Amino acid sequence: MKKFIFVWFSLISALLAEIHVVTTYPYLAEIAKEVGGEGVRVKSLASPKFDPHFILPKPSLIPALRKADLLVINGAGLEIGWLPPLIKRANNPKIRPGGEGFVDASRVVDLLGKTHAVSRAYGDVHPEGNPHYALDPHNVLPIAALIERKLETIDPASKRRYRENFDRFSREWREFLKDFDAKMARCRGKKVVQYHELYNYLLHRYGMESTGTIEPLPGIAPSSKHTVELIGMMKKEGVDTILQDVYHESKTARFIASKTEAKVVVLPHDVGAVEGADTLRKFYETVAERLCR
Amino acid sequence: MKKIMIASIVCVAALYGAESDIEALKTQMHMQQEVIEKLQHRVEELERRDLKKQERELDARIERAESFSGSFDQSAFLPSISLVADMSVLGRNVGNEAYENYEIPGFLSNPGEIPFNPKRGFNLNYGELGISATVGPYFDVDSAFHIEKDGLHIGELYVTTRTLPYHLRMKAGKFKSEFGVINAKHQHAWNFTNIPLVFETFFGPGGLGDEGMQMQWVAPTENYLMAGVEAMQGSNGRSFGDTDKINLWTGYLKGGADFGESGTAVAGLTYMRGRNPHGITHIYGGDLTLKTLFGSYSALTWQSELLYRDKEGTGDQAGLYTELIYDYNQQWAGGARYDLLFKNVGDLPEDLDRYTVMLQYRPFEFSKLRLQYTYDRSKWIEGDRKDIQELLLGLTIEAGSHGAHAF
Repeated sequence: MKKFIFVWFSLISALLAEIHVVTTYPYLAEIAKEVGGEGVRVKSLASPKFDPHFILPKPSLIPALRKADLLVINGAGLEIGWLPPLIKRANNPKIRPGGEGFVDASRVVDLLGKTHAVSRAYGDVHPEGNPHYALDPHNVLPIAALIERKLETIDPASKRRYRENFDRFSREWREFLKDFDAKMARCRGKKVVQYHELYNYLLHRYGMESTGTIEPLPGIAPSSKHTVELIGMMKKEGVDTILQDVYHESKTARFIASKTEAKVVVLPHDVGAVEGADTLRKFYETVAERLCR
Repeated sequence: MKKIMIASIVCVAALYGAESDIEALKTQMHMQQEVIEKLQHRVEELERRDLKKQERELDARIERAESFSGSFDQSAFLPSISLVADMSVLGRNVGNEAYENYEIPGFLSNPGEIPFNPKRGFNLNYGELGISATVGPYFDVDSAFHIEKDGLHIGELYVTTRTLPYHLRMKAGKFKSEFGVINAKHQHAWNFTNIPLVFETFFGPGGLGDEGMQMQWVAPTENYLMAGVEAMQGSNGRSFGDTDKINLWTGYLKGGADFGESGTAVAGLTYMRGRNPHGITHIYGGDLTLKTLFGSYSALTWQSELLYRDKEGTGDQAGLYTELIYDYNQQWAGGARYDLLFKNVGDLPEDLDRYTVMLQYRPFEFSKLRLQYTYDRSKWIEGDRKDIQELLLGLTIEAGSHGAHAF
């Protein structure tokens, strides 16, 4: 019976000859779809509604990893709390770190905030650097190029198609970046406070300044002492914007807003995190619209 | 080439014979000549500089090489190391000596050594040293050593394959059996400080762990389906204990499915067959876990397991536990568990149960304070049934490299 199922399954998969790409987060899936085009099935493991650090490693995520030909991860420690046991249990040697079908997108990105002093006394720090680089649209093309190269390696028969897809996407994205950069230029010099150091790449790219975080240390819940200090700092520095993500509590942000007259801006951290941000372009456009009106 | 070009230009100019044109061409040529010379000069200059730079770099490299001592440095290959410590302060309505000899009629005549929270007052339960590494392309190694008062014990030490085909994975060494939900988890990952009664009486306070081999296979289905087989020595004396050869075989099936974006269910079935000194032991098990997420940090989990044992020489016995855990946020969680041994041999009591509630506070991901109250109706102290009440404040810390939590 098992044999029959196996033969039947390999027959079906040979007939379809589809390449299965699994990504950890939705934005990576969107990039993979652009490069892969038809004939590549892409699935994202994490839902954009949840904190990317704390995805529930439920067994229902295993079947996708089991049949994946390529696994694209964000890297820089963002998946350390949930992905390793899933990879281990998927029993798929291709997508193990170091395997032919494993790729860590953070390797083609210049990471910000590499800390030299690493200790858990500083909270949940990432020694590799800040992993939330998805917020900078200029990181999209290097990642797309990396995925394209990987697809060529695992599926050489469709090499030309991937090249063409990448070239087209690359042209379109450069156009998009021109518009986007122009829109974001209006925000230059803006001072903001954020919950977690989630938007650093965006702020850094477009000349904005993160003056503080609502959490006192990465991964540590807000304390009243820290909140009071933050309010004092914001008044002194004239900070008028609080960046809030979709998965942390927003009570503290609203409290700070009521004391400082700053406004709370809910920004998506990934494709699909807020309504209307359901494609790669719309994700960044939503960020620009909400932040730089 | 250049010369030919210039010559031909000159020729062409001469043929046409216009003198003024020749003059103009001459000046132009002269200017071009100058540009070319300048460029040549710059190229030479750059080459010189490049050569100098290369020399300097080589010098620096030689200098570093002369004083290099790290040829055999392997610190980059250091395995992941973690230290878990668990301790408590405890109050109980039974004296320590009397408690150490409790009895659960039909199930347990003596608890043996109680590893977790045995005494009233202070308990340093254990330090667990975890070392794990990738051995090479083909194997991973994981281990958990328990540092106890009387020495170092191998809790787990096993090798796992990395590259088996057909979606298979094998494990060999000493490990905790992966049947059901709670058994494979270490004490510091449990929701309550003690293992459910049915696990304690069938396998001991740490669950079933033994020397053996395991094979797991993930099915090519849309929903999660996994089958596992384990062969073990059978050294667990409470249910097996005949260790003359490989004497314990375990098989299990686990499946899982999602309900929408926030709901998930996992269920499992287990069968074990082993030898005890008086014959064969069969154990049948089932488990069900339902979880619903309210956000990234908040969830409700309902988890239950049932075990039925048919042990030759003893008889048929069974028990279950069911627990509900509410994670309010990253810091606070609370939960309640009901624990019951509901089938016993002969005329022995079948209402051996226990109620446990807990409140848990995590100041940070890797530390946990837990307040737990237990009302235990399963135990006989000095020959009489005694309802035991216990209040415990426990502290668990996990330092160093930290493995991700499995579901």
